[in-house]
Amino acid sequence: MPHRLIVLWCLTGVWIAGPLAAQEPHVRFSGQAIALLTTTNAVPGGATLTEGRLVQPVLMLEGAALGDHLQLHAMGDFEGWTIQHGQLATGAYGEGYYDRRHPHTYVHELMFTGGDLLGRWDGDVVVSLSAGKGFAPFGTDDPMSRPPMLYPANHHLAQILERAVAVTAITAGKVTLEGGTFNGDEPEYPSQWPKWNRFGDSWALRASGRPVSGLEAQVSRAHVHSPEHRQGAGTDQEKWSASARWERAVAGRPAYALAEWARTAEAGGAYLLHSALVEGAYGLGRYRPYFRLERTDRTEDQRVFGEPFRSVRPHLDSSILGITRWTISTLGAQVRAWRRGAVAFSPTAEVAFANVAKVGGGVFDPQVFYGRTSFATLTVGIRADWGMGGHRMGYYRGTPMAEPMTMPMDHQHPEP
Amino acid sequence: MSRRVLPFLLGGLLAGCDHTTPLVPTNVAATSGDAQTDTVARVLPAPLVVTVMVEGGNPVVGAPVVWAVQSGGGSVTAATVTDAAGQASATWTLGPIAGAQSVHVTASGRSVTFTATALPDAPTQASKNAGDKQNAAPGAALPVPYAVLVRDQYGNPVPGVTVNWAAAAGQGSVSPAAGVTGAGGVATTVHTLGPTLGADTVTATVPVLAVTLTFVSTGLRQAILVATVPIAPNYGIHDTFVRNGIAFVCAWNTGVMIFDVGSGARGGSPSNPQLITTIATAGGETHNAWWFWNGASKQYLFVGQEGAGTIGSSSQGDIHVVDVSNLASPFEVGSFQLTGAGTHNFWMDEPNRILYAAYYNAGVVALNVSGTLSGSLSARGIDTLAPGGPGNTYTWGVQLYNGSLYAIDMLSGLWQLNTANGLLSVAAGGNNVPERYSSDLWVANGYAYTGTWGTRSAPGNAVKVWQLNPTTGAPTLVDSIITSGIGTVSDVEVSSNGKLLMFSAEYGPNAGFHFYSLADPAHPTFLYKYPVGGNGVHTATFGYIGGGVYAFGAKDPTSPALLILDVTSLTQ
Repeated sequence: MPHRLIVLWCLTGVWIAGPLAAQEPHVRFSGQAIALLTTTNAVPGGATLTEGRLVQPVLMLEGAALGDHLQLHAMGDFEGWTIQHGQLATGAYGEGYYDRRHPHTYVHELMFTGGDLLGRWDGDVVVSLSAGKGFAPFGTDDPMSRPPMLYPANHHLAQILERAVAVTAITAGKVTLEGGTFNGDEPEYPSQWPKWNRFGDSWALRASGRPVSGLEAQVSRAHVHSPEHRQGAGTDQEKWSASARWERAVAGRPAYALAEWARTAEAGGAYLLHSALVEGAYGLGRYRPYFRLERTDRTEDQRVFGEPFRSVRPHLDSSILGITRWTISTLGAQVRAWRRGAVAFSPTAEVAFANVAKVGGGVFDPQVFYGRTSFATLTVGIRADWGMGGHRMGYYRGTPMAEPMTMPMDHQHPEP
Repeated sequence: MSRRVLPFLLGGLLAGCDHTTPLVPTNVAATSGDAQTDTVARVLPAPLVVTVMVEGGNPVVGAPVVWAVQSGGGSVTAATVTDAAGQASATWTLGPIAGAQSVHVTASGRSVTFTATALPDAPTQASKNAGDKQNAAPGAALPVPYAVLVRDQYGNPVPGVTVNWAAAAGQGSVSPAAGVTGAGGVATTVHTLGPTLGADTVTATVPVLAVTLTFVSTGLRQAILVATVPIAPNYGIHDTFVRNGIAFVCAWNTGVMIFDVGSGARGGSPSNPQLITTIATAGGETHNAWWFWNGASKQYLFVGQEGAGTIGSSSQGDIHVVDVSNLASPFEVGSFQLTGAGTHNFWMDEPNRILYAAYYNAGVVALNVSGTLSGSLSARGIDTLAPGGPGNTYTWGVQLYNGSLYAIDMLSGLWQLNTANGLLSVAAGGNNVPERYSSDLWVANGYAYTGTWGTRSAPGNAVKVWQLNPTTGAPTLVDSIITSGIGTVSDVEVSSNGKLLMFSAEYGPNAGFHFYSLADPAHPTFLYKYPVGGNGVHTATFGYIGGGVYAFGAKDPTSPALLILDVTSLTQ
């Protein structure tokens, strides 16, 4: 699969750089990876576990032609090779993993966008159409492009990714409306493609506004049909998200903050999950301290026999044992140790303190399951980055990024 | 040999001295005696004759000839030089090995090969060649045919020898009852074991030898897979209800699949189920069913819907009533909804027409299902009882036995309930399985057997055995079956003759069907395991069809299927 992917990228690059050369096409390659070591006591049974892994090994290709009217966002993710059994991440869940983040699919994004399709016919309004495999227009930026190394627990509440999706975006002035339809099934393993015959069984809407420079706010709503049962017999999710994202220079130094709220109601409201998260970062020369606070609910499924980090999937009968609420505080700092051109290496350390509490009824007792209810997680790593700064994963608006993402890397803001 | 060759060489030298052309053989031909057929170890009736010639066809006189047995192990007695006609002859005694044999003849670098076919000698011995000492279920045809090998005094297989077969003990049968040995000297028959457990004997008689051989195989208890019916991966299959050759397969959002498995309606059988129709009830999530005759005119199928829930606290799902008076055209006629709770397994008091339904966090519900059913059945509720009380009730299943209603609760264990025409009250039991979540139950022989689920402080790998007080019916734990390598015992049932305990197991290397003898109902003993890969078997129930006993099991996703095992032998 990765070999085919690389060939696809090459072909795509040639296509853009070849016949459309007269339209000043441009192609940009980039990538990143984090080599890290995580130790945590958020382990079923009360043990402590330490693991070293290479996470987020990705290569990205972005291209544009026809005066940016045709754009390509493609990202290959090789976590299927490097974290086959997931990455230790306290409180994280989804796709059958618990307290481990699942590996992403090899083709993380492969989106084609036709931007400003109506040209001057619609005045200053920009209408774009995107299609391919990628993010539904819902929620916030993918955690991969945000400062902390470990994913937040709310990843599956706040983003909808790796779907076959078609998105229409309309930007008028400082407001963008996006509507998309996609397949509801989430992947089960890295090499799996979306179930094509389910394309269109789910939808998402997002409204974004940029009232002042550096500030962006969005509200979004999605209906996801049977995400956890690929054949479509599972329960549906109704999702809401609201967030505000702020990014600008403060005292000449880059600053970033995000506040988000997300809610997922599943099975007609039988399971209600909420999440609130704030995070921020500030550039101090070579140093970049950051923090994240989140409180996120998750369902607790019956676990696989002998594999307490995995849940039975697809499950039968009632397998939800309860709902837990995770309060996680993360502090970290990144230092840019070395940079040449677009390549940078940044040692990073972060510590997370988590607390879990039972919400409502059910037989799941975190004290029994983990042997404790408070956890500590320490992660040290080196982030290798090659031109990834500025990419906000999950937005296909067909317009140049008005507010490029400057975190976690700082290519957009030279050191003062 | 060198001394025999010497005169010829000397003659050649002398001829050289005379300056004449030497007679060099250019051809050796088999003149007669080739391609004969006779019995092994016999002298062939015709001698082998070769002619040695020079170019032009003139014979060579006195040419040395070398004879050698090439295959078959026989011998030759031969002249070593050619006579006046250029010929040499030999007598060939065949070797003891049946089949093609050969003699190689060489003269002055030229050669020729004689062949002969050696036939086996008369039969002198017979032995068992294959199939002896097999094990199978009573009544089953053995997979390996019995075989007798007939040979001659040299060990060659002898074809065409009659062998007679006879089932001597065990009431089995053989087919064919007589035959002759083939080219390999082997005669075979297939043995179908008799209907009882233990040794079955078949004799093989070879009349020409007056020899009788005895084959012995054993009828053992075992389960035999007779059918695998794929179920759409629409979450797959949950419970199955089997009665009178009809199987109601509850296949989640696919609905209830109604199969003829021996009723005669569609020519189906356990090994060849025939789908009659499928009925999808409102809301899907079809979990379990009970087929009920409501007097002479109506037949109803009660269908349990298992909606979303949180184990131990909440649940959803209604009881749907389907008119199945015409099995080919079922239709939903009513439903029962209990606010705040969802149903699970049923038990029916058919004489009194009361449906008892486990209702998870609501406990147990009794419904009056007499008469014609239509629309909402909310007015038909007789009673509801949460045996463990609020926060301690999540009831999985119920069963009537000797006038008591036994309820198994995931949180609070096994309960004995009083029921007076559906009015419920606690009689005994409860809070008696603190270390595990309980699952299914079955009551028989004065004992109750209950399963366990998931992981509490101990895993769900146990079947609890409860003795019921002969007077009061109160349960007392007397034994537990602990099975390693499983995570849940999700269904439990005892055969109608009370001899066999079956439970389905999920999540682990030992997932599948497990069978225990109830010769001592207080202490079941292991009989047989039928492993099922993946996540194992979600539910298992017995069906009694055509004198046989079958286990209908729900194979878990990701490739769900209805598995049907012939377990007749296990119930003996």
